[in-house]
Amino acid sequence: MAIGGTMLGKLGEKLRKSIKKLAKMPIVDEKVVKEVIKDLQRALIQADVNVKLVFKLSKSIEKRALKEEPPKGITPKEHVIKIVYEELTKLLGKKSYKLKIDKKPYKILFVGLQGSGKTTTVAKLAHYLRLKGYNSAVVCTDTWRTAAYDQLKQLTEEINVPMYGDPNEDNPIRLAKEGLNKFKNYDVILFDTAGRHKNEKELLDEMEMLSKEINPDEIILVIDGTIGQQAKSQAKAFSERVKIGSIIVTKLDGSAKGGGALSAVSEVGAPIKFIGTGEKIDDLEEFDPARFMSRLLGM
Amino acid sequence: TISEDDIEDVLWELQLELLEGDVALEVAEKITESVKKELVGKKVKRSTDIDKYTRNALKNAILEILKTDSNVEDLLKIKKKPFVILFVGVNGTGKTTTIAKLAKYFMEKGLVPVIAAADTFRAGAIEQITKHGEKLGVKVIKHKKGSDPAAVAYDAVNHAKSKNKDVVLIDTAGRMQTNMNLMEEMAKIKRVVNPDFIIFVGDALTGNDAVEQAKMFDEKIGIDGVILTKADADTRGGAAISISYVIGKPILFLGIGQNYDDLIEFKPEWVVKQLFT
Ligand SMILES: Nc1nc2c(ncn2[C@@H]2O[C@H](COP(=O)(O)OP(=O)(O)OP(=O)(O)O)[C@@H](O)[C@H]2O)c(=O)[nH]1
Ligand SMILES: Nc1nc2c(ncn2[C@@H]2O[C@H](COP(=O)(O)OP(=O)(O)OP(=O)(O)O)[C@@H](O)[C@H]2O)c(=O)[nH]1
Ligand SMILES: [K+]
Ligand SMILES: [Mg+2]
Ligand SMILES: [Mg+2]
Repeated sequence: MAIGGTMLGKLGEKLRKSIKKLAKMPIVDEKVVKEVIKDLQRALIQADVNVKLVFKLSKSIEKRALKEEPPKGITPKEHVIKIVYEELTKLLGKKSYKLKIDKKPYKILFVGLQGSGKTTTVAKLAHYLRLKGYNSAVVCTDTWRTAAYDQLKQLTEEINVPMYGDPNEDNPIRLAKEGLNKFKNYDVILFDTAGRHKNEKELLDEMEMLSKEINPDEIILVIDGTIGQQAKSQAKAFSERVKIGSIIVTKLDGSAKGGGALSAVSEVGAPIKFIGTGEKIDDLEEFDPARFMSRLLGM
Repeated sequence: TISEDDIEDVLWELQLELLEGDVALEVAEKITESVKKELVGKKVKRSTDIDKYTRNALKNAILEILKTDSNVEDLLKIKKKPFVILFVGVNGTGKTTTIAKLAKYFMEKGLVPVIAAADTFRAGAIEQITKHGEKLGVKVIKHKKGSDPAAVAYDAVNHAKSKNKDVVLIDTAGRMQTNMNLMEEMAKIKRVVNPDFIIFVGDALTGNDAVEQAKMFDEKIGIDGVILTKADADTRGGAAISISYVIGKPILFLGIGQNYDDLIEFKPEWVVKQLFT
């Protein structure tokens, strides 16, 4: 586990300074711990982690830092960092959760807010799976977004993955049914859907019906890495309707820290499996909790 | 007189409300700090409800940040022909959809717009804006996918000149403000067409990054006005405060849905209402 030196090197400037103060203490001093906690809170809020979640996290970190005896050979400083790391790990998981294709066809349904990156990510994942040796196919059920069909068509043509859709059909359920039937002999079928949000009841109804029709093996919630405090309630609205199996965070090639995704993880209890790091087809990375944590804390 | 102790708790509460409403941390801290400075030492009647008084001071501070001298009507008045508007922003915020909405807005004023399909990069982008143009009856100037976006924009301006059209709306590819190559490409589009107005399209769901986005686009390209989209997604409007605070440019409209009419004029009071109710 990367604690102490390595973790410290990646913490935010301010947080790093206050932790340095701890380093000089022979014992864990309450005042200094409080200061560290305050800087930790600021770092996490600036990273877009849900404010309430930040306070919940920092409370348990503070409690543990003041109560628990540092194990032998570990300085008070290292002890606090270790606790921060452990509490965040409780949420994010220790190792990365892999996407497991354990039946055929393995059906994956993509859902998320408007413009979060679903369509792009569908193509990226199809490409990723192909490189892993899986035969995958893609279905467009988005009958809302203008030229959604053309977008997915061009993306999949580029990577030679078969795609089904019909720009003249306005019933997503029918498209899903037809796609299922067409691609039943493939290893993986990926279903792209229209974007929607928590206040669009009819679109949420539609998503629920799609999920019933497809009966997916995994539903992936695609989260925009730039989203702020709304991440939690939006994720909740999705997970109240369908069972979210995993999360993909997009647009982490920018400067946003992705804390919204952490809030979503804690809300729906599903792990992050990939992150999107660009617009190109291979800008998809397997999720690495330790790196994500450093990003959250502000490198 | 109001002392620091009197307002410490309520200011902290207010700061949390701002943060939960997606006001960026540094902006939320600066706003509450300024309210504190304003109030500490101030003489008030003994019967004053200090909490309420502080709350009001904060609301006023927010309205002050969001207030502008000029209204949308004036800002988007066609001061010359053609009036060239460039749309910029990060990926997926709603630029293309907003252009379609604005095309309709100008048509309703009796003006004739033309659209430049200068997102030549993203899959399906040209088809998307072309279909909007067909539905609205607006000419879309386009080249092949992958071609030079500045050349498309240039052609659209020339088209407007020769056909005596009123407005040119230039759609561009979304780009991260941290991507220097793409920001340079945008600067080139700007140099080539010399737009009369540049609109930054931001997503109302954006958190702290709104500050970075607005700052960088303003610095590298220049922003004259802002449109915030997806305000219908139960947003609190904090991004509006963050953006106004850092670049001081007017927010023109809110996008409140995916249809052409889902565009309303921005009112500072909307933010206060969303944040504190
Ligand atoms: N920089 C960057 N851009 C991304 C990433 N993932 C997606 N995008 C871009 O984000 C924008 C929106 O992506 P889409 O795939 O169209 O999003 P969507 O969720 O399908 O959108 P709707 O179908 O309209 O709801 C596009 O410009 C994509 O190229 C990423 O990881 N990094
Ligand atoms: N609910 C809602 N959705 C919106 C709004 N504005 C745009 N959208 C949706 O957001 C998604 C992305 O919109 P686009 O117009 O393609 O965004 P863009 O900024 O042009 O995206 P790129 O060109 O890929 O960077 C689409 O699904 C739109 O329908 C809005 O005000 N409310
Ligand atoms: K977005
Ligand atoms: Mg899509
Ligand atoms: Mg676009």
